[in-house]
Amino acid sequence: MDITRVRALRGPNVWSRHTAIEAVVTCDEDERDLDRLPGVERALTRLLPDLPPLRSAPGGPASLAVALARTAFELQRRAGCDVVFHGERPTRTPGVSRIVVEYTHEAVGQLALELAAGLLQALRAGEDGDALAAIGRLRELDEDVRLGPSTGAIVSAAVARGIPYRRLTDGSLVQFGWGMHQRRIQAAEIDDTSAIAESIAQDKELTKTLLDAIGVPVPAGRSVTDVEDAWQVMRSLGAPAVVKPRDGSQGRGVTVNVETREGLEAAWAAATAISDDVIVERCIPGDDWRLLVVHHRLVAAARREPPMVISDGERTVRQLVDEVNRDPRRGDGHATPLTRIRLDPIALARLASQGLDADSVPEPGRRVVLRNNANLSTGGTATDVTDEVHPEVAARAVEAARMVGLDICGVDMVCRSIARPLEAQGGAVVEVNAAPGLRMHLAPSYGKPRPLGEAIVDRLYPAGEDGRIPVVAVTGTNGKTTTVRLIAHLIAQTGLTVGVTDTNGVTVGSVRTDSGDCSGPKSARNVLMHPDVEAAVFETARGGILREGLGFDRCRVGVVTNIGEGDHLGLNHVETAEEVAEVKSVVVQNVAPDGMAVLNGEDPLCVAMAERCPGAVTVFGFDETHPVLAGHRAAGRRVVFRRGGQIVAAQREREVRIALDQVPLTRGGAIAFQVANTMAAVAAAWAIGLDWDGVRRGLRSFASDAATVPGRFNLFAYRGATVIADYGHNPDAIRALVQAVGTLPGARRSVVISGAGDRRDEDLRAQTRILGDAFDDVILYQDAAQRGRADGEVVGLLREGLAGARRTTRIDEVRGEFAAIDLALGRLTPGDLCLVLVDQVRDALDHLVQRVARAHDAAGSDAADRGTG
Amino acid sequence: MNAPGDIRILEIRTLRGPNRWTYRPVLEALVDIGELEEWPSNRLPGFNERLQAWLPSLVEHRCSYGERGGLVRRLAEGTWPAHILEHVTLELQNLAGMPGGFGKARETSRRARYKVIVRAWHEAVTRRALHAGRDLMMAAIEDRPYDVDGTLAELRRMVDRLCLGPSTACITDAADDRDIPAIRLNDGNLVQLGYGTRQRRIWTAETDRTSAIAEGISRDKDLTKQLLAAVGVPVPEGEYVRSAVEAREVAESLGYPVVVKPYDGNHGRGVFTNVLSGDEVEQAYAVAIDEGSGVLVERFVRGNEHRLLVVAGRLVAAARGDVATVCGDGRSTIEQLIERQLNSDPRRGRTEDAPLNPVRLDAAARLELARQGLDGGSVLPEGRRVLIQRNGNVAIDCTDEVHPDTAALVALASRTVGLDIAGIDLVVEDVSRPLGEQGGAVVEVNAGPGLLMHLKPAEGTPRPVGEAIVEHLFPSGDTGRIPIVGITGHRGTTAVARQVAHLLRRSGRRTGVASGDGLLVDGRRVRELDGAHWDTAHQVLLNRTIEAAVIENGPRAIAEEGLAYDRCLVGVVTSLDPAATLDDLCIDDADGLWGVLRTQIDVVLSEGASVLNADDAPVADMARLSDGQVILYGRIADSEVLAAHRANGRRAVIARGDDVLLAIGAETSMLAGLLAGRDPDAVLPAIATGWAIGFTPEALREGIESFDAAAQPRAAEPTAQTAAVH
Repeated sequence: MDITRVRALRGPNVWSRHTAIEAVVTCDEDERDLDRLPGVERALTRLLPDLPPLRSAPGGPASLAVALARTAFELQRRAGCDVVFHGERPTRTPGVSRIVVEYTHEAVGQLALELAAGLLQALRAGEDGDALAAIGRLRELDEDVRLGPSTGAIVSAAVARGIPYRRLTDGSLVQFGWGMHQRRIQAAEIDDTSAIAESIAQDKELTKTLLDAIGVPVPAGRSVTDVEDAWQVMRSLGAPAVVKPRDGSQGRGVTVNVETREGLEAAWAAATAISDDVIVERCIPGDDWRLLVVHHRLVAAARREPPMVISDGERTVRQLVDEVNRDPRRGDGHATPLTRIRLDPIALARLASQGLDADSVPEPGRRVVLRNNANLSTGGTATDVTDEVHPEVAARAVEAARMVGLDICGVDMVCRSIARPLEAQGGAVVEVNAAPGLRMHLAPSYGKPRPLGEAIVDRLYPAGEDGRIPVVAVTGTNGKTTTVRLIAHLIAQTGLTVGVTDTNGVTVGSVRTDSGDCSGPKSARNVLMHPDVEAAVFETARGGILREGLGFDRCRVGVVTNIGEGDHLGLNHVETAEEVAEVKSVVVQNVAPDGMAVLNGEDPLCVAMAERCPGAVTVFGFDETHPVLAGHRAAGRRVVFRRGGQIVAAQREREVRIALDQVPLTRGGAIAFQVANTMAAVAAAWAIGLDWDGVRRGLRSFASDAATVPGRFNLFAYRGATVIADYGHNPDAIRALVQAVGTLPGARRSVVISGAGDRRDEDLRAQTRILGDAFDDVILYQDAAQRGRADGEVVGLLREGLAGARRTTRIDEVRGEFAAIDLALGRLTPGDLCLVLVDQVRDALDHLVQRVARAHDAAGSDAADRGTG
Repeated sequence: MNAPGDIRILEIRTLRGPNRWTYRPVLEALVDIGELEEWPSNRLPGFNERLQAWLPSLVEHRCSYGERGGLVRRLAEGTWPAHILEHVTLELQNLAGMPGGFGKARETSRRARYKVIVRAWHEAVTRRALHAGRDLMMAAIEDRPYDVDGTLAELRRMVDRLCLGPSTACITDAADDRDIPAIRLNDGNLVQLGYGTRQRRIWTAETDRTSAIAEGISRDKDLTKQLLAAVGVPVPEGEYVRSAVEAREVAESLGYPVVVKPYDGNHGRGVFTNVLSGDEVEQAYAVAIDEGSGVLVERFVRGNEHRLLVVAGRLVAAARGDVATVCGDGRSTIEQLIERQLNSDPRRGRTEDAPLNPVRLDAAARLELARQGLDGGSVLPEGRRVLIQRNGNVAIDCTDEVHPDTAALVALASRTVGLDIAGIDLVVEDVSRPLGEQGGAVVEVNAGPGLLMHLKPAEGTPRPVGEAIVEHLFPSGDTGRIPIVGITGHRGTTAVARQVAHLLRRSGRRTGVASGDGLLVDGRRVRELDGAHWDTAHQVLLNRTIEAAVIENGPRAIAEEGLAYDRCLVGVVTSLDPAATLDDLCIDDADGLWGVLRTQIDVVLSEGASVLNADDAPVADMARLSDGQVILYGRIADSEVLAAHRANGRRAVIARGDDVLLAIGAETSMLAGLLAGRDPDAVLPAIATGWAIGFTPEALREGIESFDAAAQPRAAEPTAQTAAVH
């Protein structure tokens, strides 16, 4: 079994909406049918008990590839990952298939595939495999990379509200929303958590001063300079004291109930180990309570208890601790509601202070406390008490949070009862925490869990907001770029900053932020990251969909311009137009339920996508009587079509008309493929809800030139002749160009063309076959990249297409694109027409623009000469 | 000569806010000059000469004559030690780097006893300056040596250690210019601007809007770069490396030159730019790894370092790095040339406010020299110029040169990281041209950037960055103030405070009260002790939940502590009792008391109002001090004072029987029967105050009528166990 081309599909893809690992698996003769390897399947079932049958149909063959997908899936599932999907699909090549396995975290998915492959190779070789070890490794990795409980709870709450999210690091930094609606969190910290407020919370003394100023009770005490000073303060307090470092966290270096000089010395040592700055405070009697405030409201409260055991008078402390740790809720990290109690030096020191050691057997019923602080991470427990908090106590917590300036804040209190005002019982606020842990409230050891993720998400996004911006995804065989640009232009008319990706680059508003082919998911994700973007239009090419999936989870509008005969056939196991449609339909399948697909109603492969669209569908086409258009309209749905000199957007009886003579892109409606692009754009604008006057204005002002839409029917005037540059490179595009060029005047017609080496032979021949009936001169050139073809092979195929041409009378072969352009231009006389099918779009256009400008200057100076002469 | 006497400082009082002397905090020293009372300066032989030799800048003091040299003239004519002490103290503060300011010396009613009042920018520094001034003067009188330089050095150290840093100070100064009050919250640079719920906080160049997450992102250079690259801000591509060998590999894949630098280091330590070979990469790695938790290798971006300051999405200042070179003279070593040609520049110093650092031959500089085949001991031929330090202090202003596209890009960078104030480090050859065409790049985004380079550039125009930050926190017109009602007088002030607080609370404002009733937060009494003092009032102003404040100030509290607020919306003075002198404070007559109580009226804002008792002539006379309107109140309806006031069309609140008249000039409206069973001394000023704040007559009536026992502060819960030990 050979595994090649392993890919992470990071967004919705041809298999499903789930993130997944995809691989191409080649099996040898034996591996294609597990019945020929009976030992393997038996061993696998032994390693993974309750493994569901590998065959989809009983008795049908199952290959080792199927076993691989299933094993990688089962390993993840058994490691605790929340996965539901895996699959296998044969290719046309016997023994080669593609498999896919969902993952929740890419690294875990990759490792699962690797481990599964190793396991199966071992079984195939008749060796033993260790599935438990594999599951253990996966579990460990998953715990490392998965979101912590606080972050996880917030993300889940966001997902439930339909808010998109994206992790920015391997840690807990997460971004919600898109473009200008983006927000960030890091555990229970949000992007408007103030850095200053955090610094204040870190400084216990300053916090105390501020809280004291506003009448929130705090423990008496102060910062001390040395042991002697500490002793002075202790005596003035006249009660047991707490000694703690000024800057510390998680209770490190804190000693409570210090009563004697000796106790103070020890406490001093513990505190100075953490910080030079030490505070001595009155010990407040009572329990530890944590109150969680979110945006001026108490949302949860818990009583926290330090790790402890209660003696039965028979077992040692160590045995009692072991007993407690057997509780399945106790784990080693943050993933479980409770953490195991450790008998580490701190615990042993705490035992010693009670006159005990790990092997002592305390008297029955005695509570043996193993740590001073009640943090869950060191084995403490938490009990939900949210419903018991006295309103005055809640008010103090909220005031404390506001005074420090924290919008999400954990307020630590010590008092006997949370159901009575602090002032009545000498209780106090002892600490204020930024980025408080939520685990004790989300999954308290005892009592009711509190939906804090929801509370925090509500703080980030008021009800009804989902952090999304309108996203339009455009795919299809031809016309994508023009349609993308036109839709972006229409949206920009409304004053929004639009992010656009296409095969020429990325623009945000009027600024180009990237260049090159940006029609993949990475560029789309980058646009959604941009803090200024208010709407996005993405050209969504099939390469990116196959390679990585979509760059977004769903779009408001999905446009498929056409499929036609398809393009790039034969690449990546995509052989037919139907298979192209399959890939491109991913866009339609991921239209939001309240969104809209815009489909070419006269293209059967487009129309077929409609049934898989979760949202509504608009169809467009030239002929309103076409059965698809007529039927769609009859069903009360939206259609856009051409009627004479107008584009009509219609639903039921209502019709909105746009005069084509007001759409320069279409040259008054003469260029059919631009009319089609305009109809698609109009349908998309309608779907977003743009107003019609704005749409008309936008259509009127849209310029389709080499600067705006390079390589898309760019027209030049050259010495009285017409030159058109276009990137068209498949039979559909060329047919459309021939139609369009046919509407333009031109005595003698010439065309410049090359072919890409990665196209199929018949596609290359088809291109020139179409051209041969419409052009007098054909200039063939060999392009820069031959993509695996022998020298002259492509030109040869193009020449074959011209055999029997009805119009072509002259054929030239040239090496290099510039030379071909120069040759064509050199032959032009006024009134001629020349179509240049550009290959290296940017360079060729620059060359053309320069040539045209030079000709123009020359003409100008000729005129000037005549003027003076 | 024999000492004719001694200057003794008997006590020093800190007036922490507006006081009877001035609007600003001062120290008030009671000084006994003993026999020197007989010895004005012109009679002390050699004193004036010695004093002016030690402190020649005293010539700048314009005292008495309102012109330069004024004080010197007074010294020559003869003036007394307390007055001189005032000037010497101010000058010592001035020379120690504190702004100048207010000073005064006043006789008391006891012979040879004076009050010396000096502006206190920082209490401890001013206290030290006062004592030093006394010692200096005695040395000058007694013709003993005095270590002026040592004293100044000590004071400067205190200023550096105790006063606000330059970045913070420029923000608070800008706030002050906008009439926004500032309260320092700790010994460091944490400052509250504005009061109560309208307050904002700053901590050096961070604001309370500076996001902790954004700050964390800015510290993670790798993540910052990823985010910037995603939105199209050019950054140097590079990688995190874990070993010298890996550093070399990455450098080779990026192509030389490269930059090697610590992953999370600071202040440019261990940063190697323009590294040209694998060996150099490995050397640089070894140094960089000690400065942070890892090492980055990046494409070297050719050009100079620039720092661009973005505040609230707008570029407000830019500075360029100082490139240090020396030029050989055929005799001196490079080390000598550095000292002579570079470090002799007075702008180079080690203190925080020096615009340029001294040039040191650190590891980076030595590497730079070694590359040219030189070291610190090399003697350069005459005329040969050698680069010592490529990126020294970024201190040369270039704000006006920044290309607009670049300004937009750095603003985008700060938004992308999420910082409201960011210092963007940009490397580019020519900042006036777009980045793309020259391969320039943003190399770092800094939270809490230092502002000094823009305030005191080594070259070019200082930029108003403090103003920009204040504008960001307080858009035009917002002064961060809440309505404050200040009440003083010898009678009935606590009762007035209660009434006013009740009115404010009824209008829906969360009201803080510091009064004889203690400290009350929205009706809850959180402290029972007499709260008519600076401390309690201060606590009200700190409270971020408070929307309006009522502050009672006892006359003694004003005299001993000053007011806790700089300005107030309404100032109320109820009465002046000439018998209530404060003899221990040398305030021993009615004039003195008047001088204390007027402080309340001095601080009334121009958009506010003074509320004065028309029946108490000296109080009514304070009307002329008010920047704002004046509303008089009185029980003697036909008094001359009220008549004159109303004749000018002004407002008055007058008791007539049980009715209350609201008069504007001759026009009146009546709140009938409102005084029945109520104390007019509390109700009248409360109505006047409410009227000044803008309550309608109906709201006033309702407010007064609803004031009853239930509206009184709840009994405090026991707090003894939780009061902080101070």
